[in-house]
Amino acid sequence: MSNNLLEVKNLKKSFGGIQAVDIKELIFNKNELTSIIGPNGAGKTTFFDLISGFQTADSGDVFLNGGDITNSQPYKIARMGMIRTFQLTKVFDRMTVLENLMFSGSSVKNDSLTKSIFKTRKQKNYERDLKDKSFEVMEELNISHMANSYARELSGGQKKLLELARSIINNPDTLLLDEPLAGVNPKLAEDLLDLIQKLASGGISILMVEHNIEAVMKISERIVVLSEGTLIADGTPSKIRNDKNVIEAYLGKDDE
Amino acid sequence: MNSSIISKRVIFTIAITSLSIYLVFLLNPEGALRILINLLTFAGIYGLSAIGLNIHFGWTGLLNFGHASFMGMGAYVTLLLMPHAAGREGEVTTTGLPIIVAVFLGIAAAALFGLLLGLPAIRLRGDYLAIVTIAAAEIFRLVVRDLESLTGGVYGIISYTENLQKFRPEFINNLSLNYEFAPSQAWVGIIAWISIFLTLILLKRLNNSPWGRALRAVREDEDAVRAMGKNAVWLKLQSFMLGAGIAGLSGVLLAFNYGSLETTVFVPLLTFYVWAIMILGGVGSLTGPIFGSIIFWVIISETDRLAYIFFENANGQQLAGFRFLLVGLLIMLLMIFRPSGLLGKKEELLLDVK
Repeated sequence: MSNNLLEVKNLKKSFGGIQAVDIKELIFNKNELTSIIGPNGAGKTTFFDLISGFQTADSGDVFLNGGDITNSQPYKIARMGMIRTFQLTKVFDRMTVLENLMFSGSSVKNDSLTKSIFKTRKQKNYERDLKDKSFEVMEELNISHMANSYARELSGGQKKLLELARSIINNPDTLLLDEPLAGVNPKLAEDLLDLIQKLASGGISILMVEHNIEAVMKISERIVVLSEGTLIADGTPSKIRNDKNVIEAYLGKDDE
Repeated sequence: MNSSIISKRVIFTIAITSLSIYLVFLLNPEGALRILINLLTFAGIYGLSAIGLNIHFGWTGLLNFGHASFMGMGAYVTLLLMPHAAGREGEVTTTGLPIIVAVFLGIAAAALFGLLLGLPAIRLRGDYLAIVTIAAAEIFRLVVRDLESLTGGVYGIISYTENLQKFRPEFINNLSLNYEFAPSQAWVGIIAWISIFLTLILLKRLNNSPWGRALRAVREDEDAVRAMGKNAVWLKLQSFMLGAGIAGLSGVLLAFNYGSLETTVFVPLLTFYVWAIMILGGVGSLTGPIFGSIIFWVIISETDRLAYIFFENANGQQLAGFRFLLVGLLIMLLMIFRPSGLLGKKEELLLDVK
């Protein structure tokens, strides 16, 4: 149990007659960069939704650090240190980049209605520190020059950066990245990859869904392959590259 | 964000508001002050209600179409807790709470009603919430109408205004003798505008606070709020309660302005008027609804005069039709030319419903 980050057992989810996810057993290790790949409709995003609480499972169990989080509320799972991003980037459009980050970094206590009415000194100090912290994260991701732009004015790639910045501001233990490179130009994709690798080596466990096979092969320590909701392969990049099932179901098909 | 553009908007808004007040004097050679005090009282009460609605929609993105029921809840609870006369027999109850306590409990009841209505409804999104709230408001109104032994039903509640009017300062009476206006209404109007002032001080603090920021995040994307470890449902419920409480206070003032209270006051049309005022003033803007409300009420109260300019022998029915025509036209023009209202920030808040 000690090295298990996330344990999934007999996890099932179907939509109508379609079995979206059906995983018997899957264990993710701490401090590992694991990618989840598979053809479109393989259930990767549904799997993310299930373990982050955004969809309820039909049956099965999910454990995070040994604790049962099956069908917990998303915000509760996030508070346990597992933060996710979305395939279609979800930034707060009509708030500035700085506000996006400050909201995400702010503690629940700091957000309270009574504290906001009385505007305590404590809150003021907290907000000042939070602003500094937000700028630190923005510097790290090279978006500090856009601090006062509204998020909706950002390009697709910049929004991905903002979402990532928002996710790491509270130093999570675990990141679930849903297609972090989708729709990003090659240069920025390179930067994002470096960043993800840097985060991983900094001690954050990362699960990543991604279609860019080159990138996945390059940075993953382990790759899990899903097809039609089930696990068809699991191993190191070199092992996956030569796996017959994977080539048949995914790699061979949309030869990129 | 250009600050000079915002100040231009402020100048434009103040100008158009002053112009509409000038219009009142222009159209009414006699008794202009009485008419002005009447419409400013209504404007204050409706403006306060619109400020509450703005917390729901402008800040949090909640499509609340049951605002009238929050106003009603505040009004009924407050009046029933004070000395009053209800129903057909209309015997005056002599016992009751002091007005300050009753109003406070009325506001709390409205906020609690917001919570109760919110608990099952708030998980719904966009138009679904709108449908549920409009239905709940109608249910509220019909239940109040049928609880005749308590609420006076269709006969309503009377004999409660003294609870407030006995505190009316002497100077209003003296002024009213010289300028011929209704002192009781002026007193309600003064309280309405003081309430607006105090509410705005509170909301100004909240708007620039972490709590206000969190509500705006909910408005933008609930899923992302949850993914950041924040309880979006609780934030929405808090927003619902605060806005409902403010609406409750405006409902109390509306009851004192009318002098008698019936359930027909809280028909959906009331909600739509408040929506029109909010949109006119600027969704998400703090002070916008005040100006929106004044302009709206000038239009409502001066329609008759305007109608006489266009049609010489208009009757009451035609006037009522003309009034709706003007309000409808106003909203249409706004949506086309200024969807962010008088003071809404264009960069931040277009009227955009998810």
